[in-house]
Amino acid sequence: MKKGQKILALLLAGVLSVSMFGCGQTKQAAGDAKEVATETESEDNILRVATSFAYPSLDVHKEYYGWYTSIYGISETLFKLDADSKAVPFLAKDAVADGTTWTITLNDSVAFSNGEALTADMVIRNIQRIAEINSRFDIFGTFTYEAKDDKTIVISTGDEVYPTLKSDLASPEFGMVDLDHTKDFDHNPICTGPFVIQEFIPEGDVTVARNEHYWGGDVNLDGAIFYYMQEDDPKLLAMQSGEIDCYNSVSSAALEVYKQEPDKYNVTSVAGTRLQFYIVNENRLDDAVREAITLTVDKDAIATYLKGTVTAASAPFPSTSAYSQVSIPAVDTAKAKKLLEKDGYTLNADGIYEKDGKPLQINIAYYAARSLDTVAILMQEQLRAVGIDSVLTVEEDPDATYISTGDFDLALYSMISDKCGDPLYFIDSTLAKDAYYNVGGFEDAKCQELIEQLRVETDIDQRAKLANQILQIAIDDHAFGYVGLFNHTTVMKPGVSGFAEDSPFDFYGIDANTTK
Amino acid sequence: MKKQIAIRVIELILLLIVLSLLTFALMYIAPGDPAEKRLSSQGVAVTREVLQAERERMGLLRPFFVRYGEWFVGILHGDFGISFKDDLPVAPKLWNGLQNTIVLAMGSLLLSLLVSVPVGIFSAVKRNSMFDHIARILSFVGNSLPNFLISVLLMYFFCIQLDAFPIIATGSLQGLILPTLSLAIPMASRFTRQIRTEVATQMDEDYVVGLRLKGVKEHYILLRNVFHNSIGHIFTIVALQIGTLMGGSVVIETIFRWPGIGKLVMDSITARDYPVIMGFVLIMGTIYVGINLISDIVNRIIDPRVEW
Repeated sequence: MKKGQKILALLLAGVLSVSMFGCGQTKQAAGDAKEVATETESEDNILRVATSFAYPSLDVHKEYYGWYTSIYGISETLFKLDADSKAVPFLAKDAVADGTTWTITLNDSVAFSNGEALTADMVIRNIQRIAEINSRFDIFGTFTYEAKDDKTIVISTGDEVYPTLKSDLASPEFGMVDLDHTKDFDHNPICTGPFVIQEFIPEGDVTVARNEHYWGGDVNLDGAIFYYMQEDDPKLLAMQSGEIDCYNSVSSAALEVYKQEPDKYNVTSVAGTRLQFYIVNENRLDDAVREAITLTVDKDAIATYLKGTVTAASAPFPSTSAYSQVSIPAVDTAKAKKLLEKDGYTLNADGIYEKDGKPLQINIAYYAARSLDTVAILMQEQLRAVGIDSVLTVEEDPDATYISTGDFDLALYSMISDKCGDPLYFIDSTLAKDAYYNVGGFEDAKCQELIEQLRVETDIDQRAKLANQILQIAIDDHAFGYVGLFNHTTVMKPGVSGFAEDSPFDFYGIDANTTK
Repeated sequence: MKKQIAIRVIELILLLIVLSLLTFALMYIAPGDPAEKRLSSQGVAVTREVLQAERERMGLLRPFFVRYGEWFVGILHGDFGISFKDDLPVAPKLWNGLQNTIVLAMGSLLLSLLVSVPVGIFSAVKRNSMFDHIARILSFVGNSLPNFLISVLLMYFFCIQLDAFPIIATGSLQGLILPTLSLAIPMASRFTRQIRTEVATQMDEDYVVGLRLKGVKEHYILLRNVFHNSIGHIFTIVALQIGTLMGGSVVIETIFRWPGIGKLVMDSITARDYPVIMGFVLIMGTIYVGINLISDIVNRIIDPRVEW
């Protein structure tokens, strides 16, 4: 061996030895640290959660930040939405409507984490602040407010009846904040929830500690840490390594892994409020084709393909809600074919229906998010099987393209269908005349009449009835197809419970009853 | 040289003006509405009236040149504007992201050079040896693997199998190791192949044959002549890579929860947060051109024969 080679060999051996020793030491040290950490993690009463979103502010009233202060268990609202999407009392005892006047009574014992009582005046100022800084709720700026006494608020909605006030007040943006004593709304709002902010990293991790003065009584957890983790794989690995205790919005791939070890992971799943749906363009497709599409699209098959991430939908809302009681025709491809043939279509040599020498080909517009790309391909296959050809058009921004131009035969879209336990928002956004998402030419006098009634009806049961009638008209007209509702899927370590796992809404998380 | 540098600086300023105008124009004509993205960021639909009021508030209804002019005047005063996404100042966002990206980029660059320079040179010197074959295969594999796969594999191997690091380790030195490795593996593989090729080319040059015939020792030729002649090329490769690294790596930053500029700008594109995108383009344009200028100056110093 030459001298140079010897030196090189020695050098390499030295580097390797040092590296191996170093690695061994590092591994041992890291292993020790991890052992201690794991021991501490399992022993302490701190819940560790992975979250997919993080925001630069904790100002409950701004943007959608209130969704997260609600998830973190910091802020609470006058009413809360239960598993059946009903607004039930929370900070308030009750809300009674009398025409354009609402009377809200607060619970006597409610106090902020600093011990200050929640008063009617504070509630009014909170609502006024929301109207001022959150343009989605600017209508609340047109109402007049009066504190009848320390615990009673009277809200006058002017000339118009405003039946959704109670459910609107259940929106997380209406979390109550101590406006007099909060010094930093963006980083440390003083609220009424069972937890208070311990550390907040803007667009990063959030640590909360138990509110020792919680008005609702005992709080089970000592605190919680919310780790901002967008990617699915690190969440799965962190769950496997024991660094996190729970998270929701579990991917289908991770779901398969968790299901294989039921003794290690509890997985719960309820249909949520995020809807996949399609709009059929009535200006371009005649009745027979629209009905044939309805009879062909197999939502159950799509849900099965999406492996537990969605539940096949019959209505735009979870089936547990009173306003999703509609009937939809069963999948019947033979009937779909008959309908087309009755309408003058004949099958050509390629197995595609044609009329007057023109093949039946529709344009399916979609965007590649919320699994709509998969839905588009599956629908294309299903339609092709009955003789309806289709071309897929993908857009990056549906609102700026096919939703605003109406240039589609069938358009896929995904949105929150129920934001606060009431059907009006979705119906008003998609079915009302000139609605933002009524871009397929759907128009029905009876439906519009019912929508106008829904706008002023204050009785909850009657509202559900009206909503069901409205939705049924749109379904029977084959104007829309409600494909699936994303499941609110939560994975938890054994022992963890009360992480809003039975709620269809995205904005609930830990509360006083959450355990680890 | 001073004159040439002055010309390049003037060119840089003109380039940045054209770049900003083009970017602004592209964003103006591209589909997408920042107001709609902001109000519906959670998938909640809004009414036309609310949307229009938000557009008005955000100043989106003003003519193109008024908006560009306002932004340009702001930049001249060092004001990068306010984010469309959350009304926060753009400059601190970019600065924070850039700082984190610089740490990650420099760490991975250093690691890549520490591996690729000796391996690349040794591979070229010992062409077709076992070492060379192994180095070429490994560098081929390293260069072929996508970033996300390397990241997840490293995470699985080091955090789950070896239990050496926690998955959640952002903010600590420990949290820097795996993302650095993820960035360094493909980069070191690329550098190794490029350095090997460059050194091997130099080794075949007539002057090397001549020096050998004169009896000059191999290591002397390698260090004094071959490496000296290769360094300019290697420096250019590294300089170009720095420019790319400064743009951040969205995949690695997202997987390892590293709040770099890549993720910031990707989120901004999704939200149509034009002030952040404009600021990013401006900074990246300056970095790219600046690094190229430095690379040219260094090349000129190393080898005065190099023309501007």
